[in-house]
Amino acid sequence: MKTGIIFDIKEFAVYDGPGIRTTVFMKGCPLRCQWCHNPEGLSPKPQLMISPAACIHCGACQNACHHKMCITCGACVSCCPLGLRRIAGTVWTSKELALRLLKNQQAFSGSGGGVTFSGGEPMMQWSFIEQVLYYLPGIHIAIETSGYTDVKTFSRMCSKVNLIMMDIKLINPINHKKYTGVDNDRILMNLKLLKEGNTPYIIRIPLIPGVNDDENNMEETAAIFEKPGSLIRVELLPYHITAGAKYSMIGLEYQPQFDTSAKPEIWLSPFHKRSIPTLVL
Amino acid sequence: MNERIRQIRSWQFEKNHHAFRQTKLPPIDSYRDKKLPDYMRTALRLKTALDHEKPVFAPGEIIAGTRTLAELPMIYDDDEWEQIGKAHYIHERGTVTNLSPDYGTVIQTGLLHLREQTDDSPYHQAMRISIDAVLDFTSRYRQAAADMGASELANILMRVPAYPAATFREALQSLRILHYAMWCEGNYHNTLGRFDQYLMPYLQHDLDHGALTEEDAMELLEAFFLSCNRDSDLYFGMQQGDNGQSIVLGGMTPDGKSGYNQLSEMCLKASADLRLIDPKINLRVSRDTPLDIYKLGTQLTKLGLGFPQYENDDIAIPGLVALGYREEDARNYAMAACWEFIIPGKGMDIPNIGAVSFAGIIHSVIREKLSEVHSIDELLPYVENKIKKTVLELAETYHDLYIIPSPFMSLFFDGCLKNKKDISLGCVYNNFGLHGTGIATASDILAAVDAAVFHGNISVSSLFEALDRNFKGFEELQHYLKFDCPKMGNDDIRVDQYAVLLLHMFSQAVKNLSNERGGIYRAGTGSAMYYIWHASSLGATADGRSAETPLPANWAPSLNIRLEGPISLIKSFARPDFKEAINGGPLTIEFSDSVFRNDEAITKVAQLVRLFIELGGHQLQLNTVNRDQLLDAQKHPEAYRNLIVRVWGWSGYFVELDKCYQDHIIKRAELTI
Repeated sequence: MKTGIIFDIKEFAVYDGPGIRTTVFMKGCPLRCQWCHNPEGLSPKPQLMISPAACIHCGACQNACHHKMCITCGACVSCCPLGLRRIAGTVWTSKELALRLLKNQQAFSGSGGGVTFSGGEPMMQWSFIEQVLYYLPGIHIAIETSGYTDVKTFSRMCSKVNLIMMDIKLINPINHKKYTGVDNDRILMNLKLLKEGNTPYIIRIPLIPGVNDDENNMEETAAIFEKPGSLIRVELLPYHITAGAKYSMIGLEYQPQFDTSAKPEIWLSPFHKRSIPTLVL
Repeated sequence: MNERIRQIRSWQFEKNHHAFRQTKLPPIDSYRDKKLPDYMRTALRLKTALDHEKPVFAPGEIIAGTRTLAELPMIYDDDEWEQIGKAHYIHERGTVTNLSPDYGTVIQTGLLHLREQTDDSPYHQAMRISIDAVLDFTSRYRQAAADMGASELANILMRVPAYPAATFREALQSLRILHYAMWCEGNYHNTLGRFDQYLMPYLQHDLDHGALTEEDAMELLEAFFLSCNRDSDLYFGMQQGDNGQSIVLGGMTPDGKSGYNQLSEMCLKASADLRLIDPKINLRVSRDTPLDIYKLGTQLTKLGLGFPQYENDDIAIPGLVALGYREEDARNYAMAACWEFIIPGKGMDIPNIGAVSFAGIIHSVIREKLSEVHSIDELLPYVENKIKKTVLELAETYHDLYIIPSPFMSLFFDGCLKNKKDISLGCVYNNFGLHGTGIATASDILAAVDAAVFHGNISVSSLFEALDRNFKGFEELQHYLKFDCPKMGNDDIRVDQYAVLLLHMFSQAVKNLSNERGGIYRAGTGSAMYYIWHASSLGATADGRSAETPLPANWAPSLNIRLEGPISLIKSFARPDFKEAINGGPLTIEFSDSVFRNDEAITKVAQLVRLFIELGGHQLQLNTVNRDQLLDAQKHPEAYRNLIVRVWGWSGYFVELDKCYQDHIIKRAELTI
């Protein structure tokens, strides 16, 4: 049986597809987007996560630790009386996860909802997800992906899920590499598959001030969808300053190279003139 | 809202009417006469109070009636009241409270019709004095309206509440005066009942005859809602906002049809439009309720008003029938001030006479018996006995009940006028209700002890030592109990089974128990303010809860635990059979305001509410909160005068609450979804 590593399971995720849904956050991502608000989803390994705000400095965690470097043994986690520490990243077997998700089945069926796989980048653990789906027949499955994976896996995924929510962050390849750490050629290739296929899909654009919120990028993005195929709509997600909240919790520093206090511009006309429906979240 | 409504709203929001408040109390001699029977004293006090009321109108007033007398002295002096208190059980303030009067009949017949049925018996005289006082008071309002040229208003006051209301506006004006007079009689938590049922015939008539357009009707309705918000600060309650001015919308009619009508919908819309704490809305639903109605309700939730509260007809009606309520009465249920099920015009139930602390019971059974037993199953008979004993002890204290009579209020209850029997002495239904606080925490304690002691390696003595020390030095154990043991709210049968069982034991414990009024006892899942009181005497508990952590309000999960999410939450909390414990007490879910960003999300919240109802949950109430905003409001109350929150069974302005309640709401907000 395959196993996967998961950093969160969220019930009633209202912005992750139709109806009442439970979203599984798969750990590990090949991209390093500077605006990422789930930094604990980046590394494919378990990580210690600490919420310091309510700490009463009782010292129990320090007494429990016998290591020079954190090995995510969890000793400090289980002695914190306030539960301020946890290990982000739990290993599940495909069957365990399916059983967990099926607990919510009544909520899915009455609302047109289902399960969404997000991350991190769920495509990194596609073979695990595919096995989970085997145990979830008849349940509406959605995936939130960057599209950064090989064409073969992506194509296989398209035939197995009911809805794909894919990010298009930047069209300019140089800027894409600069702000996300990777080239966008694979992403655009997979997008082509999406446009030509039958699986309904939604395009999501995080609007990052000064990075991709200019009219030019929006025009270039919209132009790709002259023949949009099964596109449902384009969703625009304006950047919010709270994106950086979790970095210090996993011992990272949030250092984006853009002005986090600026308000992103929202250009809808490039989409509307092509009759592409939009939704600003 | 239109311009006229906006004008009235801002006039009263700026508290302009407070300038008319009278601080000098009218003389008490007329009614504090030791030779007078109690009911006559009440009638004379009502007369005194109304005689001293001065007509006040907002600019462009539509529905008149503004209180100016800030205080209402007791009908007894301190010595008399002390003597009565020694000889009797006194519930709360000792007055008639928390009832659902039958406004519909009185609006329909008029007060004069009731007056004609009185004779010269002393009790009927008291009723007549009360009616005359209300009519004199109305007549002064009428004169004042005429004097300032408000001839339409004056004409209406000429007719109601003396004569049958003929139009929607007359019915609303009649209701306003009748309701106003109840407060002046010294009654409190005077609920407004099935507003959409008893007023719809007037609205329908006016719409059918072209006397009103829907916009006109909306203006009238909003004017009435505004009038409910004018005197909030003068009402008794535990906290400001706890005034019991609730209405009930939708639900089955006594003859078994769907009662949701045009007026129900208008009420939901008017409330969303005005965004005020009164009237608080209860929405009766069932498995047949269309999603669109839940969506309208969710629009209100989104505004952060803390209502509507949902009641499930599929559970409440059979539950009430099983308790002995006649089917047509059960179908006609309304809500008391918070969430207790009561019957309009027939119920003199006291649904909040006391409360059983389940966390307290489990805690003490564990302290006494844990070292003697080898499993939770062996512990359960002790739990059952303790619940029975607690219920019996409570019931024994409720004898020789004395309630100050209310001849005016009695006019709204079945048989009181005819039989010359005051409502304070009873009506068709005379049942007492007991709240059950902290049932989730109690279940968590049992599940944690099962895991730690019977399936783990924690000794009873070290568990007790940890509790005695409030977990100081036992941080690892506390973490284990709090975060690694099953918790109610996570759709986990290992703990939910205890909640099912405890509620069943509670309902069995009250079964066959009768009160001195010939009524029975009802078990429920409410808490009212008991959740604060019960927690303060508890100490640390075996579910890992620190001594200083409060108990949850009503039917809700423990505070400071990890929850899997709202789907698991409602599955856990819909699990017990509420038909046998239908006194009332809702599951409360706090949502972050970010959940409601678009229409799709509103639909999803509506679907979640519907799922709770489909799963057999009895009562649900959703809050929208923003924790940062609440914290800021504590620091800068002046900037948050409008911030409305749900407290236990009612909504109030956050900045007007005592700090302990503010803190509790902030704690709850930490569990938001």
